[in-house]
Amino acid sequence: MPSDRDDTDPAHWLAAIAARRDRAAFASLFGFYAPRIKGFLMRTGTAAEIAEEIAQEAMLSVWRKADMFDASRASASTWIYAIARNLRIDRLRHERGGAGAAAAVLYESLRSEESERPDSSLEGTERDELVRLALRDLPDEQMAVVRLSFFEDKAHGDIARILGIPLGTVKSRLRLAMAKLRERLDEWS
Amino acid sequence: MTITHHPSDVTLAAFAAGTLDEGGALVVSTHLSACSACRAAVRTFERVRGIALADGEGAALKADALQRALAAISSAEPPPVPRRDGGQAEWPAPLSAYPLGTWRWIGGGVQWRSVGVPADAGTRVFMLKAAPGTRIPHHGHAGLEWTCVLQGAFSHRNGRYGPGDFDEADDTIDHLPVVENGVECVCIVAMQGQIRFKSWIGRMVQPFVRI
Repeated sequence: MPSDRDDTDPAHWLAAIAARRDRAAFASLFGFYAPRIKGFLMRTGTAAEIAEEIAQEAMLSVWRKADMFDASRASASTWIYAIARNLRIDRLRHERGGAGAAAAVLYESLRSEESERPDSSLEGTERDELVRLALRDLPDEQMAVVRLSFFEDKAHGDIARILGIPLGTVKSRLRLAMAKLRERLDEWS
Repeated sequence: MTITHHPSDVTLAAFAAGTLDEGGALVVSTHLSACSACRAAVRTFERVRGIALADGEGAALKADALQRALAAISSAEPPPVPRRDGGQAEWPAPLSAYPLGTWRWIGGGVQWRSVGVPADAGTRVFMLKAAPGTRIPHHGHAGLEWTCVLQGAFSHRNGRYGPGDFDEADDTIDHLPVVENGVECVCIVAMQGQIRFKSWIGRMVQPFVRI
């Protein structure tokens, strides 16, 4: 079991921030995630300037909320992804002049329940390896649509054009891939 | 509570991605508050997105990005303590976060109330309440129409829809819902796109939503 001094696992950087407001751990976390948040948001359709601002806001939020991170339930990457996603939703709604509820309200039920498998010895970070394995085991043709859909937020019609396959094929491959991912991963989620 | 009708995986994945409009997301979220299976599915899709984040290429930040971040955390306030309402809310948490209008009769034994979701993306959200035994006349959809049952039950040819059930309909589906005997049926509905005159519910709610 690595201690929270382990400098290779982002979950331990988060633990160090939560335990003692460790600025060096924050700098490491920032170095890893901030450029990735910006890159991810840009790949999924956000302008560079705004993606950079959201990355900054997300990392500030990570600093403030680090003690709410539970490594037995989520990996650092999933937790930080959700923070960045919610910030992007809130920003888009604000730009449209909307005054609805904060995005976090809509996602709260996912976080508020106790871990469904308290007996599970797998930590969130280890479960990420299960996700990578499940993705690796998808047939190439399914992985291609998963990559464009989940990694780049491409619309189904765009995926059909990019891959040169009919829309119906995009949908059926995506359905098959998602069913396989759920079959292997839902019980650990 | 046995839930038999769920959002499609495509819809759950879009919810995990944050790409649904607010009205659609609210109805999905209402379903999630009752359905642990779909909560697990959304978490699975979030984890795939987390992998996409961790394994994806980064984009170069501005030269002073880390300095700015370190300055920001130096003056960061602790997060506000989440507000917890003491009493039992009438409706699931995501719904009770929105202003709800007063119930109005719209005819045919059906009552309607607005749900205060900003209509920025062309999706209208409202609640419907119908007395036991109400037969809702033929209606077609002009676009996506997502419904989550909050109380009571209705049936149409795709089956029975009780509390927590999610009905994901599009304009290819013609419904003839009948409200079950027993208790009033209450639903939350997100209706996307232009409401077509042919649509029975569309005609009924048109005076209120001012399309």
